[in-house]
Amino acid sequence: MGLLDKFDAARRTRDTLSALPLNPTDVVIDEVLSATEAMIHGRRTIMAGTNNYLGLTFDPGAIAAGQAALASCGTGTTGSRMANGTYRDHLLLEAELAAFFDTPYAMVFSTGYAANLGSLAALLAPGDPVLLDSEAHASLFDGCRLSGADIFRFKHNDADSLASRLRRLGERASSALIVAEGLYSIRGDCAPLAEFAAVKREFGACLFVDEAHSLGLYGAHGRGLVEQEGVEADTDFIVGTFSKSLGSIGGFCVSRHPELPLFRYASRPYIFTASPCPSVIATTRVALQQLSARPELRERVWANAHHLYAALAALGLDLGPHVSPVVGISFRERETAFACWQGLFNAGVYTNLILPPAAPDGGSLIRCSVTAAHSPAQIDAIIAAFDRVCRELRVGLHAA
Amino acid sequence: MTTEQTVEERLMGLLRKTLDADAPLSPDTNLVGDLGLESIQVIEYLCEVEDHFDLAIDEATLADVQTIADLAAVIKKLQRS
Repeated sequence: MGLLDKFDAARRTRDTLSALPLNPTDVVIDEVLSATEAMIHGRRTIMAGTNNYLGLTFDPGAIAAGQAALASCGTGTTGSRMANGTYRDHLLLEAELAAFFDTPYAMVFSTGYAANLGSLAALLAPGDPVLLDSEAHASLFDGCRLSGADIFRFKHNDADSLASRLRRLGERASSALIVAEGLYSIRGDCAPLAEFAAVKREFGACLFVDEAHSLGLYGAHGRGLVEQEGVEADTDFIVGTFSKSLGSIGGFCVSRHPELPLFRYASRPYIFTASPCPSVIATTRVALQQLSARPELRERVWANAHHLYAALAALGLDLGPHVSPVVGISFRERETAFACWQGLFNAGVYTNLILPPAAPDGGSLIRCSVTAAHSPAQIDAIIAAFDRVCRELRVGLHAA
Repeated sequence: MTTEQTVEERLMGLLRKTLDADAPLSPDTNLVGDLGLESIQVIEYLCEVEDHFDLAIDEATLADVQTIADLAAVIKKLQRS
């Protein structure tokens, strides 16, 4: 077998997708009109498949701060945080994150992926036991694998499954790390963090939670599901990203453990990459301020989430178990999922088509997400498009 | 021999039960190649296997597992240790 023969499977996948009337991986956004609309393939389209939960990508203050940083600091740092890449504003953002999460320590990474990779690879060593939710994001798995830790998967969102695995580990359980997410990004379901925290306490393990999709949505201060579930004291490490509710790019890890700053000396994904651009840091700082100062954003995104979830449930669609700004709609047949996705697209509503192996249960899903920036009229338009497409395809209530 | 067959039969039973697989199974059945299982389905199946045999199986141990017989061998080794 030649070096490049391994790409035969990827080639087949690409060819299968290319044979579709509309390849979901070939969607190109020609022009961004606002936080909720774009021109795609010549059509004005409502964006109902982003992670822009608070709708801050066009926040005037963030844009002004980004422009000012570009003018004053240039387009990039050209270097690692451990060399020439630490600017004053990187440290200010870290201090602001620590204050926001009410933790003593915070670290900023160049992407959310790097935050998970870099935190886990620094925290875990070969032979350390790590308990990983079976539907955890690829970046969490990759971080565990990069570390050389012994990876044990537990059933998704199942505290009993977690506890039984820790029990089997015997004495090793007290040095184990439990890794889970807050809000899961495909089906929009939430981890039972209070139950996980109880298991963690029972076995003396550590808890690591990825709040990438929960930041800004949950908790009295918008800190995430950890805050909402009242388990901040039990959570040893929280990671997250700037590329969702904060509308930029980058990632972070916060902790009460004084070892977190030492990750800087041990985390290869932190050391061996350029630091985030000054303009990115500037927009992120403003977005974080907005998150705290404008709780109405949270109220608006939740109002939209409840409105959409209730309407899609009334259409008889197979939804995830929890109401959240992410609504995952499961389909038995891949062809039906694709037809529904394409029908919505043709109706001017962009959603995400999730096909195996990305779908959590091996099936096919449409992922629909709402933001604080969607107007009630836009949510109604999304619902109307679903209703029309479901009727045409005879799915949900229209199946009979 | 009897033990080996029992482990393999139990693995096949769990596979039918947890994945609702109608395909004919044998110890040589390749979990991905023959059944076309997605990785998440394999993980779910392995969680069931761990619970059934009351074992903790780390992912690295499974790196070379392709067939039901391979998995049976891993389980028997863990049971002995």
